Parts: sequence; structure tokens; C-alpha cells
Amino acid sequence: MALINVARREIHCKIVYYGPGMCGKTSNLQWIHGQVPAQAKGDLLSIATETERTLFFDFLPIDLGKVRGFQTRFHLYTVPGQVLYERTRVAVLNGADGVVFVADSQLEKLQENLNSLKELAQNLKNQNKKITSFPIVLQYNKRDIPPQYEEVTLTDGTRKRRQTSGALAVDVLDKYLNGANWSAFRGGCAARQGVFETLRAISKAVISQL
Amino acid sequence: MDPQLTSIIVPTEEITQIEECLSRLVEDTGSDYALLLDKSGQVISAKGDGDRQDITALGALIAGVFASSREVAKLLRERDFRASFQQGVRENIFIALIEEQWILCIIFNKGTHIGLVKVLTKKATDELASVLERVRQQHKARDEVLGSSFRTSMEDTIDLLFRD
Repeated sequence: MALINVARREIHCKIVYYGPGMCGKTSNLQWIHGQVPAQAKGDLLSIATETERTLFFDFLPIDLGKVRGFQTRFHLYTVPGQVLYERTRVAVLNGADGVVFVADSQLEKLQENLNSLKELAQNLKNQNKKITSFPIVLQYNKRDIPPQYEEVTLTDGTRKRRQTSGALAVDVLDKYLNGANWSAFRGGCAARQGVFETLRAISKAVISQL
Repeated sequence: MDPQLTSIIVPTEEITQIEECLSRLVEDTGSDYALLLDKSGQVISAKGDGDRQDITALGALIAGVFASSREVAKLLRERDFRASFQQGVRENIFIALIEEQWILCIIFNKGTHIGLVKVLTKKATDELASVLERVRQQHKARDEVLGSSFRTSMEDTIDLLFRD
């Protein structure tokens, strides 16, 4: 729930990056931190394990400066993606104004994406938020991992090409993950494709709900 | 609009009362700092010695700790942990929940007795709960506070700052 402090003329909004382990949530924040001008950002705070996996959350405050007389701040958080941290994700999601769901496009990660999205829907419901009207955008990350195929022979003798690994096609991901028709963006390592596009979309969605 | 998505708007009069309450708490307990946070980690008001530069990060972390302890409470089938105390060598932190929405945090050193902090924090949380109730009751429209062109201006700023 966004906070508008009339006396200090400040607006605070909370955006949470959610998704399965190793999908690139922390990388999104690291890239944003590296690109946004110094005067518009605070320190990137990471509570991580010794192996640099997120333990609690990453936190990046972004100051958009004065807009129509109001100092506007976005607080960006990531949740820890690993399955065992489910309760920690509930804690970080508390009071969020918008969510970026970062999906890992790789074939072998499809089930993890589905599990994480289902968990997000349940957690939002537990916080009395309607997933249909709550601001959510999708980011299909790791688009640059090339798909690998193998030739298989079917029982009737015909040969068919089957994907064995790498990024799934966007329409396949849409089919499984985007039944709600959220805005979806493609992300990848090349110049951190899609990071700002995603951030612009979720920021505008949050502002529209103030 | 979904009531869950409407913002909390804290008007000037309520902010003044919150600031007075926090200043009194700091003075009466001899604490170093008092912070009022929203449960999402945003700092509503802070009072105390000096101008802390780390206040935003402090807010995010304290709210995270509290939200985390709430999940621990659920696992223990406890309704909620209403307060928590963290004891350091030099500094201590006492945190109390206000009506599931706000978090009051007091930072104090060994010169202040925890008993005094607990008693006066209870008094302050009662006062702040009534402020919160008034904040919840008022239904100012967004445009009344921000102006009708706020959204367009905001979108322009977002495009300018978050560009590839």
C-alpha cells in the first residue's frame, strides 16, 4: 500500500521482484543500480548467503525527484527464490504495491516458474489482494540461451524435432504463465535486455493505482 | 477501485501529532531515536539525535525483521508477536506493532532502562493507534491531494529516468 505523506510531500511505493531461484531477480536490481544516476539511488542492500544467493532480500531505493511538488520514491525489493524460503517471501511481499514476476525461460525451469507463480497468487490472496487488479508485469528472462533439439522417431515411424533445453518460445511461456494477460517483456544478458522496459511498465502500473 | 490498492494518505495534522509523539518518546525515555514505519518498510516519521543517513535502509530492514517474526508467530500458532527486543553491546532496539499497519521502533543505549521504554512505548502506541484510525477514516481522493495531472507528469519522469 503506497504511502502519501502530505506534510513532507512524499510518496513511497514498494515494488517486489518475485520468481524462482536463479531466474535473475537480483541481477535486475544490480543492473538498475549500475545504470541509474547517483543522485537518484541509494545503496543496494543485499542480505545474501556466503555463496551470494539471496537469503532475505535485496533492497534498492530509487528517488524519482520532485514530481508536481511531491518527492517520489520507489523501493525495489527481491525475494529469495529458493523453495525453502517460502515464508521469507511472504514477509518481503508484505505491503507491496506491485510485483515483477521474473520467469526463467529455459525449458527445464517451466515447472519451477509455474510453482512460483502459483505461490505468488496464493500469497497475494492471503494479503487480501486480488491478482486480477493488482499491478503485475512479467519478465521472461534468459531469452539468450539458445534452444537445443533432438530428433525422435515416433511409434508410426515419423521423425520429429523435440526441444531438449534452452529458452522456450514466448508464445509457449505465455500459454503457461500469462493466462491473466499481463504485460510481458523479454530479458537476457545482452546489455541487460528488458530490465528498464520492465521497470517502466511496473512503475506506471503502480502509479496508476495510487 | 479495489480498496486494497488505495494509498494511505497521512495528512499534515496527523504528521504533526506523530512527530510530537515521537519527540516526547525520545525525550522521556532518553532514547537516541524513534521511528514510525509503515509495515511495507516506508519511514513515516523519524525523531532523534542527529540526521541519520541510513534511515531508508533501516526502515526496510526493521520492517523485514518484523514481517519475518510474524511468519514465525504463525508457525508457532501464535496470533502475532506484538513487540520484539534486540540487545546489542552499545545500542538496543525495541519494536512494537500498531494495529497491524504501522511499526514503532525505538533505538536506545545502555543509559536507558528497557522497562521504561516498554511502558512509554505502550502509551505511544495507543496514541499512534488513534492517529492511524483517523488516517484510515479520511477518504481524500487522490486528485485532491496530488492534482489531476500528476500521473502524466509521473509517467514522463519514469520514461526519462528508466531509459536504456
